[in-house]
Amino acid sequence: MLIATLLAVAFTAGLAGTWSPCGFSAIETISNPRRHVVASSAAFAVGGVAGGAATFGVLALVGTATHATPGPTVVAVIAAIAAVAETRGLAVLPQVRRQVPEHWRRALPLPLAAGLYGVLLGLGFTTFVYTFALWALAVVVFLAAAPVTGLLVGVAFGVGRALPVVLIAPFAHQRPGRSLLDVMAQRPKTLRVVRLTAAACLLAVMVESLAGSASAATNLGLGTDPSVTGTTVVWTTPTGGVRRQEDTTTTTSVPAHASVGGSLLAWREGTAVHVVRLADMSPVLDLDVPGLTAIAVSDTWLVVRTRVGAIDELRGLKLASPDTPVPIARAAAPTTLGRPALENELLVYSVAARRVSSIMAVDLAAGTRRVARRSTSALLTNPAVLGGDLVYDRLTSAQQLLQVGPLDRKGADQVVYKLAAPSVHDAGHEHDYSHHTRTKRPRTAKWRLWTTALSERNVYVTLLPRVGAAGGAQLVSVPR
Amino acid sequence: MAGGGAIAALVKPGDADAFHFCGHIYTTDSCPHPTGLPRIDAHGFPLRASDGHPVDDLGQPINAAGQPVEANGHPLLDPDGLPLPPAPRTRVCEDGVSARIRRNARVDGSWYRCCGGRIRKLVDCCSTSRRRINGDGALTGYCYAGRRVYCVMYYDTKIPC
Repeated sequence: MLIATLLAVAFTAGLAGTWSPCGFSAIETISNPRRHVVASSAAFAVGGVAGGAATFGVLALVGTATHATPGPTVVAVIAAIAAVAETRGLAVLPQVRRQVPEHWRRALPLPLAAGLYGVLLGLGFTTFVYTFALWALAVVVFLAAAPVTGLLVGVAFGVGRALPVVLIAPFAHQRPGRSLLDVMAQRPKTLRVVRLTAAACLLAVMVESLAGSASAATNLGLGTDPSVTGTTVVWTTPTGGVRRQEDTTTTTSVPAHASVGGSLLAWREGTAVHVVRLADMSPVLDLDVPGLTAIAVSDTWLVVRTRVGAIDELRGLKLASPDTPVPIARAAAPTTLGRPALENELLVYSVAARRVSSIMAVDLAAGTRRVARRSTSALLTNPAVLGGDLVYDRLTSAQQLLQVGPLDRKGADQVVYKLAAPSVHDAGHEHDYSHHTRTKRPRTAKWRLWTTALSERNVYVTLLPRVGAAGGAQLVSVPR
Repeated sequence: MAGGGAIAALVKPGDADAFHFCGHIYTTDSCPHPTGLPRIDAHGFPLRASDGHPVDDLGQPINAAGQPVEANGHPLLDPDGLPLPPAPRTRVCEDGVSARIRRNARVDGSWYRCCGGRIRKLVDCCSTSRRRINGDGALTGYCYAGRRVYCVMYYDTKIPC
């Protein structure tokens, strides 16, 4: 939802640029000679979108690389300041008092010049800026946007920049066109309306940011242990398993403790594992695994986790030859192995030890493994993987983060959902002593992040009650 | 009376700059601790200040196996009835502060004072940083080999005083 609002801000900020010297110049330049209007308009539009995508894509990319992840309050404050400035119609500062090179329209073929003008105007900060929304957008994208979001914002800005020019230029020499340009040029109220629209969009950004990431989540009700294949999501509720297509709200029943992967559905029932085809529930495999505590399935592999005594063990069974299990990992208490998750032949799982917490990735076909994430202070648990992207929980003393990022690129993870601290903090000072300390006292969350799943569109995560019975666990989905 | 009040203000730490726990008499702030007040055990691992219960790096009270526990001491369980996984538990100074400031930190100096009727050990966490955790210049003279106090912790004994 926040992304949609950012796109609206970007589009409006682009529109405001029409009132700039370069905006008016572009309309007049493209409108003559008429035989080039279509080609010049198209080139200008392409250039504008490319320029916008470049600016905001790079900003988001650099912001991501520098780990700039502010709280929603920072984004809200930036949006609020810009909205107030827009509402009051203040002169835009800092201002960029530059224009596109005039001689291009004389020295270059007009469509080429128009395309280059489009690029410069699309870049946003190479010529006059007519709205605070542009500055606010740049800061927010740098601080909080994923690269893809940055690209989308840039495209929206470029479209906003190009659309009025492309729509007006073909008619600019005609009477209605001249009148429209006259209204734009003679009535500053027209620009004022655009700036007020930008202010409204910025206020929407502020409200959505303050509502926090939790509001972006959809509560699917009581449930745990999600898994996904394509657009099919499966999870377990206190009354049994649930299967749902992501684009519908209708659900069908499946056995409890089920997991999907590829074209298969597997579930555990005590120590028994059953694997069937998802399409028609025709049986594929039935076997008994003593000490069974978790499963994951793909079209080629079944991975089981067992706990016998104080030993956790992960084993892989190739569905083509399930009689020869492959040992994957073994851990003795207090070290524990987390829930396995599979995509084709790629397995991910967490290892929680007293000194270090890790997420491991194993290529079951090649028999190779690597450490995907590791921390000596945070707890990293419950990973899932899809298309080279990893989702997992990162718990620290101050907050709980649901993060998504490239499996093989550490440091580029995005926070898609956030909860407060997993434990209670004291005041940081003793009773009757000074309150003067920089020790922070974070809020304590009601929930604890638990098992996850990843689809093309959504991230699913189980929320365990921080205290009390785990039976009250809930499942939420968060758009990626 | 006014003189008495002034003396009371001198000895009562409540109004002083940053004497935010008993025994601490400088403005140096607490070392980052999972639950706030920087109480540690004899080995430098974090304890919950209110009752001395061991906590992990997330601030969760834990049992001997490192598993997070409820108030009654029973392990917290997942929906399958299995204990939740242990989180890392690292030393507040040597591990936590070192990671935070990206240079080695270690315990050099300490001092004992009487607090709440029991002896408390005030522990300095020292590093080569020239700044204390509160942003002020780091104090010399309490640490060795050129190190300076970065932040402070405490260890409560059961010895009455």
